[in-house]
Amino acid sequence: MANFMQNSVVSYACTCGLVNPITKLFFCRHCLKLRCGFCVCHEVDSHFCSNCLENIPSSEAKHKKNCCTNCFNCPCCQHTLSARATMVVVPKKTDDSPKEGEGDGVKAVTKKMYYLSCLGCRWTSRDVGIPDQNVATGAWPENECSYQTRFNALLEYYQAVVLQDKQEKQEYLRRKTPKAHKFPSLTDRTGLTVSMIRRQIGWPDKNTQKAKPVNITPSVATDELEDLPADVFTQPINLRNVSNIQQRHGQPSDQPFTVNKLYPQRRILWIKRSLRCRQCEHNVIKPEYHPTSVKYRIQLFANYHVPDVLLVRSEEVLHAGKSGSIILKLTNPTMHDMSIKIKELPTLSEELEMIEEFKLACKIKENTATSAAAESLKSITSSPSLTSTTLSRQTSLIEDPRIVQQKANVKLNNSELNFVLNQRDDSTEFDEDVQTPREEPEFIIWRKSNKVSIRLPFTTDESLKVGDLVKVGFTMEYTYVNTVTNTPTSHTLSARVFIDAGQILGE
Amino acid sequence: MPLYETVMQEKPPVVLDIGTAYTKLGFAAEAYPRKIIPSEVILSSDGKTKALLDYDSNTELYDQFVDFLQMIFFKHLLVIPKERKIVIVENVLGQTIIRETLARVLFRHFEVSSIMFVPLHMAALATLAVPTGIVIDMGYTETTVMPVYSRVQILQAFQDQAYGGRAIHAEIKRQLLEAGVNGKHLTESILEDIKVRTCFVTNFERAKAYRKGQPPAAPPDLEYLINGEEIIVIPGTLRETVFEIMFEENNDRDSLPHLVLRAILSCPVDVRRALIESIFVVGGSAIIMGLLSRLRAEMQYLAEKDEEYKQKLCGDIKFKFHKTIGRENFTAWLGGSLCGGTDLIQTHSLTKEAYVKTDRVPDWINLSDKRATA
Repeated sequence: MANFMQNSVVSYACTCGLVNPITKLFFCRHCLKLRCGFCVCHEVDSHFCSNCLENIPSSEAKHKKNCCTNCFNCPCCQHTLSARATMVVVPKKTDDSPKEGEGDGVKAVTKKMYYLSCLGCRWTSRDVGIPDQNVATGAWPENECSYQTRFNALLEYYQAVVLQDKQEKQEYLRRKTPKAHKFPSLTDRTGLTVSMIRRQIGWPDKNTQKAKPVNITPSVATDELEDLPADVFTQPINLRNVSNIQQRHGQPSDQPFTVNKLYPQRRILWIKRSLRCRQCEHNVIKPEYHPTSVKYRIQLFANYHVPDVLLVRSEEVLHAGKSGSIILKLTNPTMHDMSIKIKELPTLSEELEMIEEFKLACKIKENTATSAAAESLKSITSSPSLTSTTLSRQTSLIEDPRIVQQKANVKLNNSELNFVLNQRDDSTEFDEDVQTPREEPEFIIWRKSNKVSIRLPFTTDESLKVGDLVKVGFTMEYTYVNTVTNTPTSHTLSARVFIDAGQILGE
Repeated sequence: MPLYETVMQEKPPVVLDIGTAYTKLGFAAEAYPRKIIPSEVILSSDGKTKALLDYDSNTELYDQFVDFLQMIFFKHLLVIPKERKIVIVENVLGQTIIRETLARVLFRHFEVSSIMFVPLHMAALATLAVPTGIVIDMGYTETTVMPVYSRVQILQAFQDQAYGGRAIHAEIKRQLLEAGVNGKHLTESILEDIKVRTCFVTNFERAKAYRKGQPPAAPPDLEYLINGEEIIVIPGTLRETVFEIMFEENNDRDSLPHLVLRAILSCPVDVRRALIESIFVVGGSAIIMGLLSRLRAEMQYLAEKDEEYKQKLCGDIKFKFHKTIGRENFTAWLGGSLCGGTDLIQTHSLTKEAYVKTDRVPDWINLSDKRATA
């Protein structure tokens, strides 16, 4: 986690072919594959206001146009506005006074009034003439759209036009379709179906009402346009009063030119996202509902499941075509022992094969899903015609996996390194007895509980120039014990790891 | 609101108008876009900010669209794009690669259920409820003129020129550099701010005086503070004359009034009068003060004095303009919103199923697509 905020020198290739540090990767426990932000499906989980931290149900959020009801942003500088209270002296209402008998006709009463103020730029709601409110939240006037009625009329008009068009088309199609039988059938002779006869004559059905065209007054063009005001050539303008483009876009409905028409903007909500694996549609990340909670209900981050590789140091000065070595520290985050095999990266053709295999796997899954759905449908409806794809699963397109852009420019000296990484056991930290040293392969430098340090020797490419970055790349095969199924099963998985080992130095 | 209402309600389609400079986004059947954001993308790969439509390879464009739409859906609109309907307002003569890539991103990455492409000029005209008009779209990179008669676009009369917001910014920069302002301050956003807040289009009489080389008394100069660091002086002549590049007289006769007149003259004789009396200017660059009256005055002058136009446009010519509802910069978006609010979204969209079959977007310019519909 040393590289949480910085660019990491160790990165992993995701199943989709993008390269990311392990902190940005997820691990789907059902497909047993690495996933990244690009190849999972993002979903909106819950809405909340980032200022008052209130959870807002999605239906309400939609109704409120994704805005918080209580919080406002400054229209000038987009900072959060705060409600300020003042004491105002208001004369007591005169209709109360007769009951009290004599006394002063107007008694002064102090009252708490609220206005909005920006602590960033000193803008207040009084600047634009919004009257102070009795309550701090909820009563601020809505900024209405000036042409809303015209827009509604237009929308109604077009809806009617489209509906009419649709009905006419249906009518036309119905007349054009040839009658199924040449001779009148029994139902005709009984004279029961009036509508059928009407249809034969070509009359419209009684029950279907024709959509009436809605009238709308079209816009009238004019040749009387507003000329430039004469004072624009003589009067200096005060830039403080002219709104800038950001302020205008903050109020998209009217986009005022002057700052005295800027109104407080409702603060837009934020969301919590849940992530879903595209292949098996299981969640990989699901946050808790409560906005103040930063925990997850489901969290399948890769560094809980995949051995974490850390670059400790580069042993020798790197020269092109010469051998060098790096020291890596590997950590096993799982509760099971892992046996690890480090070997060369797949070649291009092998990689292409992998991609093909991946695509094929998706296709097979797709087919089995649709055929299974079709089977179940068949048993219900017993009509094979219904079992088309329309009723079963939606056709889905998948993102094509890509070839990894990152290329290693070294060759590993050993074809394979095999070793075991012990399980994670927090209690070993406190064990008194020192582990008895056991027979270790020579590349292992150090070992403690679930961590191991290894030396990885390699030879850099001849073609590298002074100053070029040496990229060490290897495939790490590791055994992973799947605990999702009832009986834990062991799998051999692999990850492609890329490490920046440093620059080539001159002689 | 009752629960059943929210369950029964169809999710409103998302309407996008992706421009070179600004993107307008919102939901169908709403009277104004939710947001107007710069068309810039913060790359997820290295965190740099970059213009959306600036790309070297197809994959790069694809990734930029993914990042950009991800931001739109999860930061601004807060909806799940999956199984949603999308309306895209597009230029009829826009680049195929952008259109195809956008469709691929939406279908493959975001798994939307359908996309409806709405032609920009038609959408803009729809907000007026008139069937005929000549639509002038003044954007960031270009100005396009499309005559529409009885809701049919007259494509052969389409005109465009590369002056829009970008050309204006370049002109402001040129004049300021000439005035001796340090160039390192003049970023695109500063130039835009100067344009938006200080400049205007001057009237015809004064413009004529400028052309003759007898400049009238210039409007007052302005002191302009850059990022709280330096104060520059914006000359009054700059404020008045930067928009003159759209009205420049030259032998190519490609200034804005000529462009509109040429578009009108390329149309059949019978429709010309209807077009003359129904001119509609939209797009972000059209917001500037004084543009419409200047355009009208220039066109009126040309129609009366210029030999070519005088011959072809007979009778009493009166150029008439429509006013937009709302601001000009989202008029096309508004048309898309109207379209998305009707049943057309069901019948005229490109569905995912159709896209899977062909793996490409049907285009009006492709003859095989026309055969399929006929």
